[in-house]
Amino acid sequence: MKTRSAVVAILAFIGMVDALYLSIKRNAGPIPCHVTRGCTDVLTSKYSEIAGIPISWFGVGFYIVMFSLVAFKIFEDPKHPSDWLTASIFYLAGAALVVSALLVGIQAFILKAFCEYCLLSAVLVLTMFLLAPSPGRRKLPA
Amino acid sequence: MPKILKPLVVIVLAVAVAAGAAVYLSRQADQPEETAAPTHADIKGGGHIRGPEKASLTLVEFGDYQCPSCGAYHPLVKEIQNRYPQQLRLEFHHFPLVSIHPNSMLASKAAEAAGEQGRYWEMHDALFEHQREWSDSPNAEPIFVALASQMGLDSNKFMQGLRSPQLQDRILRDVEQGQNAKVDAVPTFFINGERVHIKLSMEDFVQVIQAHLPK
Repeated sequence: MKTRSAVVAILAFIGMVDALYLSIKRNAGPIPCHVTRGCTDVLTSKYSEIAGIPISWFGVGFYIVMFSLVAFKIFEDPKHPSDWLTASIFYLAGAALVVSALLVGIQAFILKAFCEYCLLSAVLVLTMFLLAPSPGRRKLPA
Repeated sequence: MPKILKPLVVIVLAVAVAAGAAVYLSRQADQPEETAAPTHADIKGGGHIRGPEKASLTLVEFGDYQCPSCGAYHPLVKEIQNRYPQQLRLEFHHFPLVSIHPNSMLASKAAEAAGEQGRYWEMHDALFEHQREWSDSPNAEPIFVALASQMGLDSNKFMQGLRSPQLQDRILRDVEQGQNAKVDAVPTFFINGERVHIKLSMEDFVQVIQAHLPK
């Protein structure tokens, strides 16, 4: 379980760098894509912010919270695992997966342009959700 | 060390390293890539010009009317021309990214068709200012015709312009110039032939222009 949590922590760290990079670059002129086409279009579209706050900053917040929860999970007492932590990681990853799916849908069907940094984030979230410890999966007492 | 301190130290360290990495990467990306995009380009005119002929600076923009980023830069470009009315002129070149912006070529044709009636810049401004109204439309032509009509253009001539192969050729010549100048994103700006990276802020625009003004 600790290995899976460690992998989720690494993914959350990568996500932090990705989201911070986008937040810094967003107002720094055209953002060139290397794999896809349309990074600038996606990141300057009307869907790229909520109430004037760029979505990438919400991403930064999500990844910091996720990393923090997983860090506490890794360092918790194995004899007394916290159900609350496990459930928080799982449901937070699930909620992020729904938001990521929505954002990828907007890129594919409305903007018809893809931002590789946003797609990377979606892949990270999906992998974190698949690896996150499920709150229903508990060892029976011996 | 208390148990709670270990994860807290790890979290603080991770956030600090991530922030450092993001800043480093964003600065790396700002470095001009000389092999992919030369810092200078020989742009042989042919674009639409707004501003005095004898201006000391020519700001060349390769733009796409459907690109949201170009729309975001449009008010800045207008404002910078207002601030430097004698020193700066704008030379706009079409660079419609038709693979991702299906209405961009028609929008360029609309601007050219208006230009045939001497109203290129009015249509240029209107296309950017109304970008959200037509950008996602499956049939943008009636919207362009309505814009032309509001501007008092002759509708029949405008429609002919939209279908004119000569006007399309003019747009494609602009695209070819952009490709020769290794334009790989829109908007791309050049000042007196030098590729410049301008942030989406008036302050940065002013700084870049000031840096290029003759001393």
